[in-house]
Amino acid sequence: MIRISGVSKTFSGRGDLLDVPALRGVNLTVGDNEFLTVLGPSGCGKTTLLRMIAGLIPPDEGSITVNDEPVTGPGPDRAMVFQAFSLLPWRNVLENVAFGLQVRGVAKAEREDRARRFVQLVGLAGFEQRLPRELSGGMQQRVGLARALAVEPTVLLMDEPFGALDEQTRRLLQEQLLRIWEETRTTVIFITHSMEEAVLLGDRVAIMRPRPGVIDDIVPVPLERPRSTNVDRVERSAEFVSITSLLWERLRDMQVELDRREDPADDGSRRGTSLAALGGKEGGE
Amino acid sequence: MKSAASEATSLDSSGRSGAGRSFRPQSRRLSVPRADAVLYPLATLVVIAVVWEVGAVAADSLLIPTFTETVTALGALIFNPRLWEALAISNQALIVGFTIALFVGIPLGLALGRYRGLAAVANPYLTILLTVPMAGMIPLLVMSVGIGFEARVLMVFLFTVIVVIVNARAGVREVDPALIEMARSFGSGELQLWRQILLPASVPAVMVGVRLGLSHAVTGMVIVELLLVAAGIGHLILEYQAFLQPGSLYATVVVVVLEALVLISAANRLAQRAAPWLEPATR
Amino acid sequence: MTAIRLRAGGRPWRPGAWAGSVIKTGGFGLVIGLIVWETLGQTLRYTFLPPASRVAGRLVDLVTSGQILPALATSLTNLALGFAISLGFGIAIGLGMGVSRRLAASLDPYVNALLTAPSLVFAPIFFSIWGLGRQSIVALIVTYSVFVVIVNTSAAVRAVSSDLHEMARSFDTSAAQTFRWVTLPAATPLIFTGIRVAAARAVKGMINGEMFIALIGLGKMIQDAQHQLDATTVIAVLSIVVAVALLLITAIDRIDMRLNGWLPRTERGT
Repeated sequence: MIRISGVSKTFSGRGDLLDVPALRGVNLTVGDNEFLTVLGPSGCGKTTLLRMIAGLIPPDEGSITVNDEPVTGPGPDRAMVFQAFSLLPWRNVLENVAFGLQVRGVAKAEREDRARRFVQLVGLAGFEQRLPRELSGGMQQRVGLARALAVEPTVLLMDEPFGALDEQTRRLLQEQLLRIWEETRTTVIFITHSMEEAVLLGDRVAIMRPRPGVIDDIVPVPLERPRSTNVDRVERSAEFVSITSLLWERLRDMQVELDRREDPADDGSRRGTSLAALGGKEGGE
Repeated sequence: MKSAASEATSLDSSGRSGAGRSFRPQSRRLSVPRADAVLYPLATLVVIAVVWEVGAVAADSLLIPTFTETVTALGALIFNPRLWEALAISNQALIVGFTIALFVGIPLGLALGRYRGLAAVANPYLTILLTVPMAGMIPLLVMSVGIGFEARVLMVFLFTVIVVIVNARAGVREVDPALIEMARSFGSGELQLWRQILLPASVPAVMVGVRLGLSHAVTGMVIVELLLVAAGIGHLILEYQAFLQPGSLYATVVVVVLEALVLISAANRLAQRAAPWLEPATR
Repeated sequence: MTAIRLRAGGRPWRPGAWAGSVIKTGGFGLVIGLIVWETLGQTLRYTFLPPASRVAGRLVDLVTSGQILPALATSLTNLALGFAISLGFGIAIGLGMGVSRRLAASLDPYVNALLTAPSLVFAPIFFSIWGLGRQSIVALIVTYSVFVVIVNTSAAVRAVSSDLHEMARSFDTSAAQTFRWVTLPAATPLIFTGIRVAAARAVKGMINGEMFIALIGLGKMIQDAQHQLDATTVIAVLSIVVAVALLLITAIDRIDMRLNGWLPRTERGT
């Protein structure tokens, strides 16, 4: 279980640049084996939040605990998947997947053995000796996923992992991710821009609002699992459509609100309708 | 979200203990604060001075001056008219040789960038000129133009022109072929192509060549004087060497290094004004 | 055909045929050059422009008679020593400067100054410390090449993608692990760019040093030939020097290909 309470973070501006209040008083709880997607416009702090959970940057205020252990830095219980893949280009697929294990000091034979399992899991069996430059974007990201899974983390942190891929590849990888997750059931926190992706993959969707970053709302996604077996049907279901519409309403309201804040002439008459969130709400100012 | 990189200045690895590595500043990208950028080199200078002083005293050789001796000699040298005469003599050759090299090298380089046939023919010669130690050409120089002003100008020219050519060529070669195609589709002739696209686009690279060329020109100026012509600054160095005035010898070397630095930073400064997106050339 | 190609200018032609013709034109250019040289040499009879055939003859002579061997051996030893020291110190200091901002701040101005200054000017200084002989020349070779290595190496380290560093940190690597497994391999291609340039400069340093000190090696041969107004030998020896430089750079390129074959195509090359 991951508990984030009262987390705030300000990036101090250098010189005469203003300070950037990235996050303000964020509260969030993620349950074990939950797949939580985080949705929000650019600059809402979702990547910052993720990196804090990963232990890459500390919060200014508040605390983050994973299974009641406070997060003070990177650790073996958390692993990240990056939008830019961040594979080591001079290592082949197997060696890349084994990276996290190598860092932990696992001996070569054993770590390559374990890595092989995860290479298979993501469907890249036979590609172990290939270099990243010989792989497509989708395949590279699967290597990134295998690398993160190989250390068997408690939490998988995914930072818009499919953002750099084309539409078709993205859909294939979504399906594949669902399939893999249904097998491993790791706790996942998944950042995305896309409402469809957020609803398709997640058990709950946390909507974040920018400037300063806060959790605006948390929308549960009561769609049945497993979803990987018939993604099309899921996406066409009435529930899926209504939840994505709701998300879009929230995001659009958010954008209007933001624009209004920037524009002093606006009297607020353009403010969109606000729908009540379905279910429990966590978040705050 | 690259904003996290800016947090390094506010970050402090507070005494937060815990398993594993704690939040390490992600500060690789930043340079030291401005005050330190002056302090650290000064500190290094002090270290150098001390080591030099101690080493020279220990070596106790007629030929090796101490740091203080060198600094004193440098002071005296600056007020010595002979230094400035020597610099004038040397730099005349520099200016003439450099200018000729620009007038010859830039057009030639541009042409080589555009006309692949020409470039293919010229390539082997360029490679040779790039690798051959120019100093080795000095004997040929002597036998052709003697040991006067012309020899020094020719040397500076040879040192400079290669770098200028290569960079001008690169400037034209790297012009986006799509732009050329576009202009042609609008019916641009060759002359217009040069005026509207090729010349403006290659200015940054040509500037790089000019700056590097200046650096090489200074080198050529000094080398020919040290190895051959006995004029100007090189002559001064040889004289101090012959007459066992090590302090002045070292001081003159410092002057040469300083001149190179001054010229290069002036060139960089000018280039910054002309093309602000360039980084200072270091080779 | 040639006329059309000239006008087409920067537009890429059919790569295979184009490459073939480039090679032919390159070699062709050299052949033309040789012919021109030979003709001018025979007709003009300038002392500084001996005909190509005579130079070729002298070259063959020097090699087969073994006359060039002692000088060549001396020069190559100087070169090897100087270049090795440059690489050792250069890469070490460059890595240090790339990793430590403080070290970089301390040394930057001096490294850049010594990089732009005409290195030969330090020859009298080395001469005053070590006198005539190998040490002075090796010191000069080091001066010629080490700063290029330092600058390129520290730039290479700093150019390592922060994405990769962040990825490594997310797996909780120590500083040493990050350096060994991420920074070093990632920086190697750019380091090799520096090594390549340093090799050319080392060869120049070798010749310049030997000409200035004028007691040993190929530089001495050139100086002697100059005093005897023997342009033929000068050019012949210079050809050998160029050959040495090209061989050295080819060797470096081979090693580069081996180590850095993982680079994606667009980033290859200098």
